[in-house]
Amino acid sequence: MPGLTNSIIWLVGTLLEGSVLVCALKTKSLRRYLFLNVYMALSFLVSVARFEVLIRWGYTSLEYAYFYFYSDALLTLGLYFALLNLYSLVFDEMKVERYLRLGAVVLLGGTAWFSYAVINQSSHRILSHFAFELSQNLYFVGLVLTYVLWGAILKLRETRTRLIQLVLALGIYFSAFAADYALRNLYPNLQPVFQYLTPTLAWILPAAWAYAFLCVSEETRLAPSSLAAVSR
Amino acid sequence: MSRRLIVLLLAMLVLVGAMSLKTVVVTHGDGSVIMANGSAPPPPVPWKNGGTPVQVLGNGSAPPPPVPWK
Repeated sequence: MPGLTNSIIWLVGTLLEGSVLVCALKTKSLRRYLFLNVYMALSFLVSVARFEVLIRWGYTSLEYAYFYFYSDALLTLGLYFALLNLYSLVFDEMKVERYLRLGAVVLLGGTAWFSYAVINQSSHRILSHFAFELSQNLYFVGLVLTYVLWGAILKLRETRTRLIQLVLALGIYFSAFAADYALRNLYPNLQPVFQYLTPTLAWILPAAWAYAFLCVSEETRLAPSSLAAVSR
Repeated sequence: MSRRLIVLLLAMLVLVGAMSLKTVVVTHGDGSVIMANGSAPPPPVPWKNGGTPVQVLGNGSAPPPPVPWK
């Protein structure tokens, strides 16, 4: 069973996930950012369900392990679609929805095929292992796609503050987990610190998204920081 | 080159980049997993025997012993 501190961190994370939905409802942003909100609703429900399974079966049980990894695959898939939602919003004026859809399907299909190819090497092909592998691979695909979207936002000189905030939050979230993973491997003796730090990082995304929905209006625009100098 | 082919090429590039990144990270890692969905405590991975998942429905409910080969 997780200790008191870990339980509090978990509870705060779950409440933050719920607060994103509340903020989106309050500012009438539910439909515009549909997949972001679906992902947050899924995260909230999965968190509650994980707690139920943990209480019922125990931390070291296979039931908890398999439920955790299946639900994680579902959440990573949700995060992938949330990222595509952001892509469609960034490129909405360029009318490239059909190309985005094509790219998304090809990428998802390619990731699923790669995951299957990896587990196909083992003697027992079990669906749960596929779900785990797909989740891990989609995490890295999401990481790369977020950086590509960052680049696109810079290139297109995007000024919609809320959209920029949502994408930046996602980039920081992915980067924080990657940095945490690297530091855990570099300093394995700091495990007592990381057991609290790692779950706390999960607060970043819901906290930033809730802030973006609540405090940054849809109409807010960033002022251009610099104007291009024209040579005469 | 048509736009569709460019999209396919970009998707493949992202896939190759992501899988290369994953390979680099996993090769230099300690075998733990990156879990970035929620604050719930991640359980130990139930399969560690060379990529083969453990049997969920085995013979009896005795706890499985640690894998003797690694």
